[in-house]
Amino acid sequence: MTGSRREQLLSIGLPVATAVVLAALWQAAVSLTDIREIMLPAPTAMVAKLNANLPTLLEAALVTGREALAAFALAVVAGFIVAAASSSSQLLRETIYPAIIALQLIPKVALAPLFVVILGIEAEARITFAALLSFFPVLISTASGLSNTDPNAMRLCRSLRASAWQSFWSVRVPFALPHFFYGMRISSTMAVTGVVIAEFISAKQGLGFAILSASAVSKTATVFAAIAVLCALGLGLYGAVAALERLAARWYRG
Amino acid sequence: MSAPSLTTAPAGPFTVRLRLPWRRLRPVLLPLLFIAGCLAAWQVVANLNPQSRAVLSAPSDVIGVLNKNLPLLLPHLAATARETVAGFALAAIVGMVLGAALAQWRRVQQALLPHLVLFQIVPKIALAPLFIIWFGVGPESRLLFALFLAFFAIASATTAGLSATRPDALRLCASLTASPWQTFFAVRLPFAIPSIFAGLKMGMTMALIGDIVGEFVSGQEGLGYVVMFAAAGADAALTFAALTLLCALGLTVYGVVVLAEMAAERWYGAPFVSEGFHNRKDK
Repeated sequence: MTGSRREQLLSIGLPVATAVVLAALWQAAVSLTDIREIMLPAPTAMVAKLNANLPTLLEAALVTGREALAAFALAVVAGFIVAAASSSSQLLRETIYPAIIALQLIPKVALAPLFVVILGIEAEARITFAALLSFFPVLISTASGLSNTDPNAMRLCRSLRASAWQSFWSVRVPFALPHFFYGMRISSTMAVTGVVIAEFISAKQGLGFAILSASAVSKTATVFAAIAVLCALGLGLYGAVAALERLAARWYRG
Repeated sequence: MSAPSLTTAPAGPFTVRLRLPWRRLRPVLLPLLFIAGCLAAWQVVANLNPQSRAVLSAPSDVIGVLNKNLPLLLPHLAATARETVAGFALAAIVGMVLGAALAQWRRVQQALLPHLVLFQIVPKIALAPLFIIWFGVGPESRLLFALFLAFFAIASATTAGLSATRPDALRLCASLTASPWQTFFAVRLPFAIPSIFAGLKMGMTMALIGDIVGEFVSGQEGLGYVVMFAAAGADAALTFAALTLLCALGLTVYGVVVLAEMAAERWYGAPFVSEGFHNRKDK
């Protein structure tokens, strides 16, 4: 009993201790040597910048967060619908699936400038681009989840004369939920990444823009502060999906 | 001791292929027809709207530009390929070594694995400008950024794969008094091959993404730079030509990793079936 308690403490304490030691080493390295702040600001300098610029950074985070959320929502809905459609028709699946896999492998990131040319430099271009990036993980993992339903459960459905609609919602979807949420978790990171890349290319606001413009004038501490806010945003979205996953799992298990 | 034994492949498919050619060809023909149809529709739409060629150039225009500007594009292709492959190779070495170290020492794993996972979740792409501050606008910064992006997926997949050896295989090793070194190479590593290669595949796509974003931000050379430059000049045909080369590059480097995976599996006498996929067989 005491052994498992010790393990539990270690599994939390060790990573935290590592982070603290690394931050301390970083601080010591910066204050003891003459590394210029442009190259590597001390953690304390970053925290100071974060405090000083918090209102503007939060405003930028709101813009980025809104766009990432919109892109994520679009991607999840579209990904689920296409996955459901492709799982219900073998013809459709065989036709589009290889193309989707190929699209998953090619660097879609390179399409970002094209979206700006076609859709302009407003939010729509960034949302559409980020939605495209985060669409594929949801689609692929949901489709694999829907097609891997336990065959015994499907046989039971048939013997109970369940309609295709009924067996889809009450058997296939619950079985596919873990896959669906796995895809959603990856998608949530891709949505934030997509918006940031698009902001690098075209934006007058948002965290990606804040990072790029601060780095252009070598305000490295501000760059780090903006990255910290962005990481918090990304973790927040990921955490929300993970929390939703737990809720859904509990709900479906009854 | 040898690698875990395997079942032989069934001889069934041959008879099926002879009897039902359409069923066998369908999975190949349908997607090809679909892609050909998409390209044809694209060509027709572009032909019907000649004024829209600034944003959506026809496939025929793209091929024309590709033919004409190939000598111009090839150095950029080479730069992108070089930085991506070098970044990936370094990330693979560093990631697999660190992943193996984490799998070997439990305390180190407890201390570092949460950080690896955390880094996989946060949008690392935002660090691209920092790499330019640190390493300049040259190829080194893009190479290192590609390495940085690819590293985390490879390291955590290696750790996960090496830590997930089947306990009965390890017990067998212990009862045969295999040394830790023997256990690692004869059992842990072969069992981890699928997971390690899953990490390598993801790392390869991440390395290419990292290099492209680095090219966007530093704007010196490479296909990412050409895409951005051409898109800014509303030269859609050149944009699509560069994108086509990028897709070809992406599929090629990914294909090389897949080939390496097949070679590794053959070397170890695979295909290894991991626990999670056993259900699939009885379908």
